[in-house]
Amino acid sequence: MAALLSQALPWAGLLLLVVLVRWSKGVAFADAYALISRPFWPGPAQSDWLRASQRLESDLRLSQLSQDNNRLRGLLDLEHGARGVVSASVISREADGWWQQLLLNKGSMDGLRIGDAVEGPGGLVGLVHELSSSTATVTLLTDPTSRVGVWVARTRQHGLLNGVGTSRPVLRFIDKDPQVRPGDVVLTSPSSSLVPPNVPVGVVQAVDERASPAPEAVVQLSSAVDVIDWVQVRARPPR
Amino acid sequence: MNLLARQPLCLATVALAPLLTLAAPPWLSIAGVPPTWGVLWLLPWALVDGPISGALAGLVLGLLLDGLHPGPASEIPPLVLLGWWWGSIGRRPLPLERSFSLGLLAMIGSALVGICLIVQFALIHPDQLLLVLRGLQPSNSPRGWTPPVLGMAGLHILGAQILITGLLAPMLCSLQLLFWRHQRVVQR
Repeated sequence: MAALLSQALPWAGLLLLVVLVRWSKGVAFADAYALISRPFWPGPAQSDWLRASQRLESDLRLSQLSQDNNRLRGLLDLEHGARGVVSASVISREADGWWQQLLLNKGSMDGLRIGDAVEGPGGLVGLVHELSSSTATVTLLTDPTSRVGVWVARTRQHGLLNGVGTSRPVLRFIDKDPQVRPGDVVLTSPSSSLVPPNVPVGVVQAVDERASPAPEAVVQLSSAVDVIDWVQVRARPPR
Repeated sequence: MNLLARQPLCLATVALAPLLTLAAPPWLSIAGVPPTWGVLWLLPWALVDGPISGALAGLVLGLLLDGLHPGPASEIPPLVLLGWWWGSIGRRPLPLERSFSLGLLAMIGSALVGICLIVQFALIHPDQLLLVLRGLQPSNSPRGWTPPVLGMAGLHILGAQILITGLLAPMLCSLQLLFWRHQRVVQR
């Protein structure tokens, strides 16, 4: 009996170890991967490219804001003026598989929290889903688990952007007559407490007006997740 | 189960599967879809070390891979099943080492993992299932988008993953088979 116990003990320990890895959502693997891949992280060339893309994004944002109500915009800016921004590089990318996610080289030690919004050149990319001390897992807007409140600024119609596993998520409107047409720009909703307001998300590509219970639209995202090497993580606005 | 019992450190190589899943080298993918790394590691291990060791390795591998992804969908059931099945095949008198056989087994394994994930996603997100089902029918809206693009997303990933896994298996699994068999000979 004692011999059997001594033989089984290491295996029980191994199983416990693996269950711990599963329970911790692979934090050790994410950290180990970050350590191993550190020499291959994006360098300054990508940083220049990021800045150029940010200028483009700023132009787009300015043109949208000029159509907004100035008083409301001022209020929103005041409310969220103190939020922090952390730049991070993408060290692992799974954008076309069963799960759509990114792994960033910044984690809880850098001030990131679960639920923080992640922006790339062009607009919103996704939300932080898991954290380790030095890495963060981002669930992309295209992932089937992703749900983000957005609005179409031209018509001021709100909706929920659902990932469906393809590169183009589906926007489900709340109103039955959203008066949206292809080409309309989709921004994060000012009403949402989960994401910063009026961050560009994408462009309406097609509308299905007969969808039930309310019309739906396919949205082409404005940030190209497949080529992004740097992102910015915005702290969640205070409630 | 000789290899697992006498050289348990060999099991540490299972960590390569989650690390390769994270690295996701783009030159080893089709249309951005990576191979099923878990299947590529499990197939030679189970063929050499038998059904019990194969099922245990499948369980370990599934637990490690599940930790890397959000949501409750799990790769454990198909990997345990595949580990047991491939271990049983490995016990037959004629050793399985032809490239075509390895590729075919890996493709079946990748298909089983993918189908299990699709079924789980459908159960977890029934609204997505409705979208997929509706996507298989033509849209009758005059301004409507064509939902097959959305509905076929799972099939696109499944097809690409089966193909790249089947293409890589003859090369990677043959090398691993040789290595594990050599380890068995050495320990005797």
